[in-house]
Amino acid sequence: MASYAKPLARQKHAEEHEEDPRQHLMHDPLPRGQMNAMVMESMRETGPIFWIITAVLAAFVVFALGYEWYVLIMQGQGVAGVTRPDYWGVFLVNTVFWIGISHAGTFISAILRVLKVESRRPFTRAAELMTTFGLVQAGLSIFMHLGRVWLTYWMFPIPNQRTIWPDFHSPLMWDLMAITTYLLCSTMYLFLPLIPDLAMARDRTQGGWLKVFYKTLALGFRGTEGEWKNLTTAMNIFAFAIIPVMFSVHTIVSWDFAMATRPGWNSTVFGPYFVIGALHSGMAAVAIVLFLLRSTMKHYKYFIRPEHFNTIGMLMLLVSMAWAYFYFNDYIVPWYGGDIWDKLFQEYAEEGPKWYLWYTMLICNIAVPWLILWNRKWRETPWLLALAGILINVGMYLERYIIIPVGVTINRMPFTWRQYEPRIEIPMTVGTFAFFLLLYMLASRLIPLIPVWEVQEGQEAHLIRKIGKAEISTLSEME
Amino acid sequence: MSEPITLLAMFEDIEPASEGVEKLQQMGVTDDDMNVISGIPVKNTILGRPAAITYVSRIGMFGAILGMFLGIFLIYGIPYLYPLLVGGQPIYPIPQGIIITFEMTMLGLMGFSFIGLFVDSGFPSYTPQKYTPEISDGKVALLFSCPVNEQEKFIDALKNAGAVTVAPVEARHL
Amino acid sequence: MATELEQAGFTNRSEEELGGRWGMVVDQDLCTGCQACVAACSMENNVPFVGEEDAGYGRAMHWIRIERLWESTEYPEVKMTPFQPTMCQQCHNAPCEPVCPVYASVHSDSQDLNLQVYNRCIGTRYCGNNCPYQVRAFNWYDYTDARIRPELTTLQNQLNPDVTVRRRGIMEKCTFCIQRIHKAEDKAKSEGREVEDGEFTTACAQACPASAITFGRIDDPKSEVSRAATSSRGKHLLEELGTLPRVTYLAGGA
Repeated sequence: MASYAKPLARQKHAEEHEEDPRQHLMHDPLPRGQMNAMVMESMRETGPIFWIITAVLAAFVVFALGYEWYVLIMQGQGVAGVTRPDYWGVFLVNTVFWIGISHAGTFISAILRVLKVESRRPFTRAAELMTTFGLVQAGLSIFMHLGRVWLTYWMFPIPNQRTIWPDFHSPLMWDLMAITTYLLCSTMYLFLPLIPDLAMARDRTQGGWLKVFYKTLALGFRGTEGEWKNLTTAMNIFAFAIIPVMFSVHTIVSWDFAMATRPGWNSTVFGPYFVIGALHSGMAAVAIVLFLLRSTMKHYKYFIRPEHFNTIGMLMLLVSMAWAYFYFNDYIVPWYGGDIWDKLFQEYAEEGPKWYLWYTMLICNIAVPWLILWNRKWRETPWLLALAGILINVGMYLERYIIIPVGVTINRMPFTWRQYEPRIEIPMTVGTFAFFLLLYMLASRLIPLIPVWEVQEGQEAHLIRKIGKAEISTLSEME
Repeated sequence: MSEPITLLAMFEDIEPASEGVEKLQQMGVTDDDMNVISGIPVKNTILGRPAAITYVSRIGMFGAILGMFLGIFLIYGIPYLYPLLVGGQPIYPIPQGIIITFEMTMLGLMGFSFIGLFVDSGFPSYTPQKYTPEISDGKVALLFSCPVNEQEKFIDALKNAGAVTVAPVEARHL
Repeated sequence: MATELEQAGFTNRSEEELGGRWGMVVDQDLCTGCQACVAACSMENNVPFVGEEDAGYGRAMHWIRIERLWESTEYPEVKMTPFQPTMCQQCHNAPCEPVCPVYASVHSDSQDLNLQVYNRCIGTRYCGNNCPYQVRAFNWYDYTDARIRPELTTLQNQLNPDVTVRRRGIMEKCTFCIQRIHKAEDKAKSEGREVEDGEFTTACAQACPASAITFGRIDDPKSEVSRAATSSRGKHLLEELGTLPRVTYLAGGA
C-alpha cells in the first residue's frame, strides 16, 4: 500500500492547546453501518415542531410567491417600487444575493476537494444543496423583475417560426447562458456523490414510495470497481471544471452592472469584486446552515464538529480580507476625483438619505469578521460563527442594495433623480428566503445530508502514528 | 467443463479482501471473472487488481468540443444568418464570443461527463443484479465465477483468507 | 459642429456616423417652457396618462420632458438655466441597443434611428438603465386599458390609429414620430422620389409656438435643420460619452 505521510499543520498548536487528535472526525471512526444508521435515523425521526415550521413556511411561500407574484404579473411592475430612473430594484438585489449564496457550495465541494482539504468531508452535500436551492431563488427573482415574464422563452436560443434570435451582445444573455450552465452543472455535481448514499438509503429502506424513490435515483449502483472508477473520474472532472464556471458566473452577473454607463456601475473592478462578495456571503451562509443542522438533526454532533466551524471561520476571515481589498479598490478610485458623477454616487451612498445602510454594511462586512474570527475558540463556537454569518449576510445584502436601488438614484441627468422605496418586493423577498428554507427542510427528510461514504473514505486514510514522543496525525493518499 | 457458478465472498475490511483476491488469482481465476464491490472507492493497486478502464473522460472531451461548436454557432452563426445592427458594436463581437464559447464548452464537458457515467456504467439499471446490502455498510465483497463442482475448494480457501461468508449468489432486485 | 480633434483632421468616424439622416435642433434660447411639445407628443403617440399618484412617484411617461434646472443660489436670487427639452437623442452608438437581450431595441440602417419594437420587449428594463439621458419610459401598469380604468373610456377616441397602444411591461420612447416618417417615405416612394426635407415634421416641432424645435433631413445641406445644427451655439448633451446623438442644442445667446 503506497502511503505518503503528511503531518497536519495544526500539530504545532496541538501541543500548546493539548489537543487530542481523536477529537477530530477523521480520527474518530465508527463502523460504517453505525454511521449509516445514524444518518438514516436523523432523516426519519423528527418532532412535530419540524412539521409545524414546514407548514408555516409552505403557507407563506404560497402567499408570497403564489398570490403576490400573481398580483405582480397581472397588474404589472407598478406594484413594485420601481420607477424612472430606478428601473431596477430589490428583485435584482435578490438575484445577485442568491447567486452569491450559491457560490459557497461550489467553493466547498469543488475548491476544497481539489485542494484536498480533509475537513470538508462531512458538509460538502449541505453546501451543494445551498447552491442548487440558492440558484432556484435567484432564477425566481430574475423572473419576478421582468415586465412581460410570460415571454421569457424569447431569451432562449431555440429555432422558432419568427426566425428571431436573442441578442448575445447583451450581458443578460450571458447571464442566461452562465446561470443555466452553473445550475445544471452544480445539480449534476450534487447528484454524483449522492448516488452511493442513495444506494445506502435504498438498501436500508424496506418498502413504500421511499424505497421506489431511492431505488430509482440510485440507478442500480452497486459499488463495483468499474462504477467507482467512472464515478470518481466524473467527480474529478466536475470538481476541476466547475471552478472556472463558478468564477465566470458571478463575474457575468457583475457585468450586468459594469457594462452599463451609469455612474458608480461602470467600474472595471466589478468582476472580481462580485466574485469575492459572493464567496463572502456564501461562506457566512454555510456557517449558518451548519449551525442549524448540527443543532436540529439527530446525531449530527458526531459529524459536524468544532473543527469544521474552525475551517469555515478561517475561510470567512480570509475572504473578508479579500473583500475589503476589492471594496477599497472600488472606493478609492472615485473618491480620488476625476469623474464628478462617480464621486457623487459615492457621496450619495455615504451621506445621502440611506447613509445608515452604508455604515451598517462596512460594520457587518469588515468589523464583524475582523473582530470575531481571529480567536480560535470563538471560531469553534457554532452559535457565534452562525451569528457572525448572519451579520455578514446582512452586510452583503446591503452592499448590493447600495449598488442597485440606491445607485440608480444618481445619474447624469439630475432632473430625473428620484429615490426608490420597495413595495411588493418586501414580502416576495421574504418569500424567497422562506422557499429556500422550505426546500432545505424537505431535502433533509428525503436525502442523507452527510456524504457518509466520503467520511468513511477519509477515516480509512487517516491514521495516528507515534513519532518520537508525540502522537502525530497522518494522512495517506489512498486515491 | 462444468458450468460456472457465481460466488460472493464477504470480507470485513480491505486488507483481508486483497488477500482473498491474491488467493483467487493463485487458484487460477482470471481477473475478468472477478469483481470487487465495496462501499467506498478502493484503488486497484491496493487490491492487486488491474486498472479499471473508464471512458468518462473521453466522452467528456467529446462533449466539450460539441459545446465549443455550439457556443461558436450561437455567437457567430446566428448573426451570420440573421444580422441585426445594435448601437456601435460589431455584428460578430469577439469578447462575447469568448464568454459564450467558454460557457458552452464547460456545459458540454460536464454534461457529457455526466452522461458518460450513465453510459459507461450502464445506469440506470433496474434489472436484478448480484449484490448484497451489507456492502453499503462498509463491507468489501468479492464476486467471482468458478466451476460448480470445484466451489467447495474455493469456499474453503477464501474462508481461510479471512472471508466472513462465501456463498453462491443469485441476481436479485436491488 | 466638429470637435477640435475633428477639426484638426483626426477622426475615426465616418461622415455617416457623425451626420445621420434625420436630425433635430432644439434652440434653448427660444424655448419658453410652455410644454406644448409635451402635450403634442403625448397626443400623437398615444402616450398614456398615468394618474396623479404614479406621476408623483416619477412614473409619468412623457417621451419629451422640459428640464428646468437652476444654479444653487439662495432665494430670491434664483438663476435658472435655459429650459432643456429632452427627448430620445437617437444616438448612433446608442447604449440602450446592445443591452437588450431580445433585440427589442435595434438600430435602423436605412433611417439611422433607434427603433423600439414594442411587441418584442419582455421588460428587462436594461435599456432604461443604460440610457444616459434617461429618456425611456416603461409601462408600469396597463395604463390605457379602459377595463381597468373606466375614466379613460372616452379618451380612447383620441388615440392615434397610426401608433400602437402599448400594454404593461413594455418600454417606449420618442421615435422621431416614425409613423410620420413612414407615411412620408411611402408617399415619396410611390411617386418615385426621395423624401424631401420639410414635407412633414414631428409633433413636437409642429406644436412649438416659438419654433424652438426644428426637424428634418440632416444630411441635406440645404435643409433648415442641418444649417441650424452647424451653428456655433450648438452642442450635444453628454457629448463625452460618445453616443453620437442626432439632437443638437443651441444655447448661449446671440
